[in-house]
Amino acid sequence: MYILGIGLVFAGGFGIGQFEKALEGPWQRPATDNSGIYSYQVDLGTITDKGLLKGLRRSDKFSRMSVLAAADAVASSGMGSIEGKKAGVILSTAFGPHVTTFGFLDTILDYGDANVSPSTFSNSVHNAAASYIAQSLNIQGPTMTITQFFHSCQNALQLARLWLKEGRCDYVLAGAVDQYGDVMRYIYDQKLTPAPDGCIRPFNLKPTYQVPGEGAAFFLLGRDPEEGAFCKVGAISIGNPPEHEESADVTIIDSDGMLPDESAYATSISASPPIAAFSPFFGSMMIGSAFNCAAGAVMLKRQRYFANPVRENPHDMNLLDGTGAANIELIRCVRYNCHGEKAVIYLKKKDNYENDKR
Amino acid sequence: MKVLITGLGVISAAGKNLAENLDSLARGRRNAGAVTLFKTPLTYPVFEALCIPDRFCIEGRRTLGLALCAVDEALGNAHLEGELSGLRAGVCMGTTVASQLNDIDFYSSFRSMDRKEGSIPMTPVDRYLDGNLADFIARKIGARGPVLTVANACSSGTDAIGIALSWLRGGLCDIAIAGGADELNRIPYCGFGSLGIVSQELCAPFDRDRKGLNLGEGAGVVILETGSSALRRGIASGVQLTGYGSSSDAYHLTAPRPDGAGLKRAIGRALEESGIGLDKIDFINAHGTATPDNDKVEGRVLGALFGNRIRMASTKGYTGHTLGAAGGIEAVFTAVGLREGWIPGNAGFRTLDEEIGIAPVIGKTSIRGLYALSTSLAFGGNNAALVFRAGD
Repeated sequence: MYILGIGLVFAGGFGIGQFEKALEGPWQRPATDNSGIYSYQVDLGTITDKGLLKGLRRSDKFSRMSVLAAADAVASSGMGSIEGKKAGVILSTAFGPHVTTFGFLDTILDYGDANVSPSTFSNSVHNAAASYIAQSLNIQGPTMTITQFFHSCQNALQLARLWLKEGRCDYVLAGAVDQYGDVMRYIYDQKLTPAPDGCIRPFNLKPTYQVPGEGAAFFLLGRDPEEGAFCKVGAISIGNPPEHEESADVTIIDSDGMLPDESAYATSISASPPIAAFSPFFGSMMIGSAFNCAAGAVMLKRQRYFANPVRENPHDMNLLDGTGAANIELIRCVRYNCHGEKAVIYLKKKDNYENDKR
Repeated sequence: MKVLITGLGVISAAGKNLAENLDSLARGRRNAGAVTLFKTPLTYPVFEALCIPDRFCIEGRRTLGLALCAVDEALGNAHLEGELSGLRAGVCMGTTVASQLNDIDFYSSFRSMDRKEGSIPMTPVDRYLDGNLADFIARKIGARGPVLTVANACSSGTDAIGIALSWLRGGLCDIAIAGGADELNRIPYCGFGSLGIVSQELCAPFDRDRKGLNLGEGAGVVILETGSSALRRGIASGVQLTGYGSSSDAYHLTAPRPDGAGLKRAIGRALEESGIGLDKIDFINAHGTATPDNDKVEGRVLGALFGNRIRMASTKGYTGHTLGAAGGIEAVFTAVGLREGWIPGNAGFRTLDEEIGIAPVIGKTSIRGLYALSTSLAFGGNNAALVFRAGD
């Protein structure tokens, strides 16, 4: 399975170009909201291409971020359109469109059971965003919404691989989306430790500090290596230990303060390959793996290292500390859940296509 | 690869286990009534599962209780109680309600709280964070294979079973616990009411004078198992799952595509995977929600594809529309229909709708065929279909 295109909506902008620009650094402190709390929030008002948004006038921010990222993944592949192709959609999320769900609860509390808003209800349903993607891009294959608090992105990629393998689809748009909002901020603050200075320190491991983020990251995946592909997706293991850990050139870890104790990452890091964590570019999110995978895919395509945005290193790890040209064959993306279970995605350089096919 | 159904479990308003459900279906019993689970001024009748055994009840997490009840029965049926630790078993479950943090009391407290000084009880949040449906079930029963919760609205249960089929065929596991679960909840009750598709009377799927759906609750679970695993364990099945198809209308958020092209594609794919033509299908458990739009589109498609003499019925007249659970419950009923040689009548149907042109069976009906189809149409334009085959 190959990553043919990547689409992103994050606090730093829209599109793989903006994401690459962010990866080049330097790290910038996120903005604060009215209460003085740091967060990585997406401002859809800055997106100048209103073409897609025109068809989404009645949709919510969750759906808009989803559609924009999915469409951008197709655009970045150079395919122009996947209309008429045997394509499917897998949208993964930890919390779904909770802001709209709470908006619907507002209508119940304010106006009573008999006077609620039908359009708010429709948009609060978990699979509304995937439906908008299918409508906007005219995708008529399987369109799935899956929800896990951890490893949702890994599950989406694994399912996409099965669909491609069994011929259910020739292309799959698989991605991850989550949104920030008032209630989620309260929950984060109660359950986790907000970074007082707006800085996620991915290598602290314990104690951890989070700065909430939001956004959408989509991958256009295909069975065959096509012109302009980013990389190959190698083995994916979720929960159970991988059958054999391959020796990677870089390990990207998803530490971002979303677990109160992220020490488990230290156990999965071998001495030699450098470690990277890019959460300070997009924020703390259950679906942060998707953004880290995107960073890995860009590294492989460009054959370029991106330095860690925040390099505080209390455990003396071998951090990736320089940006520049590199020879990268294999990247290992690692995520732990709250039960200490690990998910690993291996990304491989596209030069290996012929070998891979053999 | 042969995929067998080695266990079945179900709970709904029709009963707390498979035997009770089948008895209700056979007798045409419809256990509907006014809402008792929450306070509401709305008066739409509902199908509540008021029979959850105490050992499965979990405070504030009704969907999980329903799911555990059906999973327990299915595992027992498959002789897998307490036996999962050494097996490669996955869990794929569909839901709608359990995927959302929609606790109205929590949110009401949040709204009225002084944000700077106050705090509110976090128990509902803890329940939610600990209550991802598939994850919860997997931990409870000790399944160590793939785990996935599907939130694909009303086709969630069917899609979950379809994904589990892919897992088995793709070698991710040898056994999969799959299906759907959903509780009756005030949020969708109000929401569906606002969409104008809920009936004040008992639902009448495919009837000319149908006035909308009735909401219900429950869970339906199948144990899928590779033929080689079942052989190793010495388990007989009687029914196979042979195909799954899924498609998007790419048309509208709440209305089905009028020409039913998406549903046709989903059915076509499920038949293709099964290696059979339309003529092999002996009966269909239709989605049949009793809304004017769904039944018109679905009935027309089924009539056009299979002819107007196909034996077809919706079982929502016995369970209500159980949303994310519907596909799981109806998969169980379809598998049992093949295994036991009968299907229930389509409760509520009286008069043929000329716009649909096809009538469901109206009483308990014997069947003898090899293959059966179960269809789901969902909010968002999702369509899903499963094909089952009698025999091992």
